[in-house]
Amino acid sequence: MSFSSVNISVEAPIENQIQEITYDGTEIYQPPLSLSESLAKYAQKIDFSKTADTDIKKEPDLSEDAKSDSDSKDAFQSSLWPWDSVRNKLRDAFQEVCVLADVLAVAKEKRYMVLDPVQQETQETKPMVQIYARKIALTGAAKVLVTGAERLKSSQTELARNRTTPGFHIELLRLRQNWRLKKVSNTIIGDLSYRTAGSKYLQSGTFEVTKAEDDDKTNSPPSSPLPGSNPTPKTNSALRVQIPSELQGVAYIEVMCQKDQEDLCSINVNLLGSGPTASNTDMHWQQKLEAAQNVLFCKELFNQLAKEAVQLQAPIPHMVVGNQIMATVLPGIQLIIGLCHSANGEKKQEKPAPSKSDHDHVLEHSLHQLLREVHHKNTHHPFPHPATGPLGPSKKRMLAGPMAADRHELLEMTRTDTLLEQIVKQAQHFIMRMRTEYVLDTIAKEVKDPLICSHWNTLNSPTQSCVKINISTHGYDAVCRTPLVIHVGEKSLKCICRDGKVMNMSYEPQELRDLIFCHINQHQILAVQALARTMGWQALGNSNHLGTGPVELLGNASSCLLVSPTGDRIIAVKCEPNQTGIQAGIQVSVAHSPRTDFFPSRLVTERKWEHLGGQFRDVRLDKMEGRNFLHKMELLMASLTSNL
Amino acid sequence: MGVTILHQFPVENRTGPAVIELLTKRIAALGAVQHGQFLVDCETYSSVPQLGHQRTVHVLHNSEQPATVFSLLETGTKTIPLATDGLFDLLMMKMSSFYTSKKQTKAESKGPRFEIGDFCVKLGTVTVSSNFKGILVEVEYRPCIVPQMCWELMKEFLQGFLGSSVLSNPPVYFQNKMNDVYTPIDTIHQYLEHFTIFRKSPAGIRT
Repeated sequence: MSFSSVNISVEAPIENQIQEITYDGTEIYQPPLSLSESLAKYAQKIDFSKTADTDIKKEPDLSEDAKSDSDSKDAFQSSLWPWDSVRNKLRDAFQEVCVLADVLAVAKEKRYMVLDPVQQETQETKPMVQIYARKIALTGAAKVLVTGAERLKSSQTELARNRTTPGFHIELLRLRQNWRLKKVSNTIIGDLSYRTAGSKYLQSGTFEVTKAEDDDKTNSPPSSPLPGSNPTPKTNSALRVQIPSELQGVAYIEVMCQKDQEDLCSINVNLLGSGPTASNTDMHWQQKLEAAQNVLFCKELFNQLAKEAVQLQAPIPHMVVGNQIMATVLPGIQLIIGLCHSANGEKKQEKPAPSKSDHDHVLEHSLHQLLREVHHKNTHHPFPHPATGPLGPSKKRMLAGPMAADRHELLEMTRTDTLLEQIVKQAQHFIMRMRTEYVLDTIAKEVKDPLICSHWNTLNSPTQSCVKINISTHGYDAVCRTPLVIHVGEKSLKCICRDGKVMNMSYEPQELRDLIFCHINQHQILAVQALARTMGWQALGNSNHLGTGPVELLGNASSCLLVSPTGDRIIAVKCEPNQTGIQAGIQVSVAHSPRTDFFPSRLVTERKWEHLGGQFRDVRLDKMEGRNFLHKMELLMASLTSNL
Repeated sequence: MGVTILHQFPVENRTGPAVIELLTKRIAALGAVQHGQFLVDCETYSSVPQLGHQRTVHVLHNSEQPATVFSLLETGTKTIPLATDGLFDLLMMKMSSFYTSKKQTKAESKGPRFEIGDFCVKLGTVTVSSNFKGILVEVEYRPCIVPQMCWELMKEFLQGFLGSSVLSNPPVYFQNKMNDVYTPIDTIHQYLEHFTIFRKSPAGIRT
């Protein structure tokens, strides 16, 4: 190294420094420093403290303090005179040299002070102690190395295990993909509330994320060789979520329709509460968070419903008792909405009697749907149409102006049903539908002669559905069929009849039953006439509302008169809407207009009078051959036509 | 929204409130029930000479369509109707340097509003810049939207309580559109026609 070093001399350029370059290119140099100026400049550069430091290291602190004081005093004046600091340093040096000279002079006298050589203390070295010391040092070093190696090894094994079970950070990453997390000082706080999705519920849904303890990890199976085959992922997650106690467990909204303590529906399905409500620690964090979120959602839903139930002015007031809301849907039928929340740990005894908890899943689902809709509306506002227009009104409301909506329409727009009203409507519709189904099915079962088929539309809204009813006679479908359409609404039924008449009915199932029986009755009369036409018979007349005869329980009897092609035979049919059995309500009578046998009597002396029409004789239908009424009539007409 | 017919009821040396009271009695005798008040107002703006050819914009509000501002632009050769939302009023204020309003021509018709079955009857006192000008009776038959189909019925109803002042022919405005679908802007057209006539006539002496 030494031979490669080369002396480099650095000296100032001979040229003077350029002060300024004028526009024509001439350079104006600084005038060279005068001798005194350059001397002052160089003197400034001398670092006296360096030399002073080495020499006066052993001086007492007191003097240094004093010196620094004087230094600082001088520092104030140094700006006055460039040589000031140099002078100070020189003065200090001079002082020290004087002191040294004095000391030396005193020492020289040898009267007051003697300078003795100081014995250099020799360190006695004990070999055994050294060996022990080295040993200790070596063991210390070895320990450091061993712990380092162990740490490396453990991290290696952890890495190896991470291939099967993800580590804390990877799990945290997964968690972050689905849940909102934030770091508050040293803890990780998550939020599982629906507030970002538009919820305005006040209860917070914060949870804390922690690292799983090591002792938990040790009892987990040590890295199973087959990564796919660990069906029980017990606590092998490196992540732990801490959920507030009020959100723990499983909750659901129970919806029931009850009829005076007697259940209408008869579905009994065990709910999610029974399944995975094992210990809290056994669950994966994802399931745990989902369950907690569900609890929060159910609480919000119930809270909202309870609030509405109290506020709404219903004709029969809604009742809120504890965790239950009771609303009257139709007279005698209650809708019960309950919040079932089972805190984990104690396995809850929620089913007092299995038949009681007839839970309506459809209504529960629509409740969830309704609240989600509210959330969606809270976050998704329609865009203002002119960009400068007001924000908030719905699209319909914005169009109301240009479309010249009247006051009624505008009032309708402002009205929004509350969740409870909507769910009550859905429950009403549900019961109406069930009743209609029941009525139609029982009538179809009771009445065999005209067949009653009902076709339910598969597509319907939660508050409206439609059923098409066909009344026809087996074997005579082509001759006559009576179609009916029934719209099932929330509290009423609307029936559109064959002739286009619209009948509005209330929620009482008896009304529908009566209507169907009337139509069965009408169908029979119309079918007989249609059949007669195909047989060549002639319908003389018919009446749907016969004024004669005894008063019927239901509506009026209907009748028709048929005459044979030759005109000599008349059939009269009278149909009474009788609920007990339709066959019994039909009377058929036959008349021969010139009777085959004639016996002159005192009143009717000649045969020609017989042409005026004769006596009707009843036909005993129940003794006749034939599958059904129309078949019997066909046979009757055929026999009357043939035996001329 | 149904067919609406606007009828001008002769005042004949009576005061406005007296006529309204008379008609209220008559309509109440038929079984009508009062449902609030109504107001139709009309303001007219005309373009400044710098814009060239003179144009007139009539801005009308009808309390039956509270969210709507109707405007009719008269260019001289044709009339352009426009139904907009409430922001149009603000727009007109912004355009005050192009369209200036004549304050003394502000016309309005207001009074009680009755409902009787399918009919809606409004008895309006017309004022032009707060001077009484006459009585306008508006009758709406709500189930129908084609004038041809309900004119006879409406005529009968009108004659029932307004007497012989109702002519047996449909109003002039309907002559070419008896079979068209009736829209709210037609009501506005009728009001504007009557307002224009009222403005030209001297106060209260119109028969």
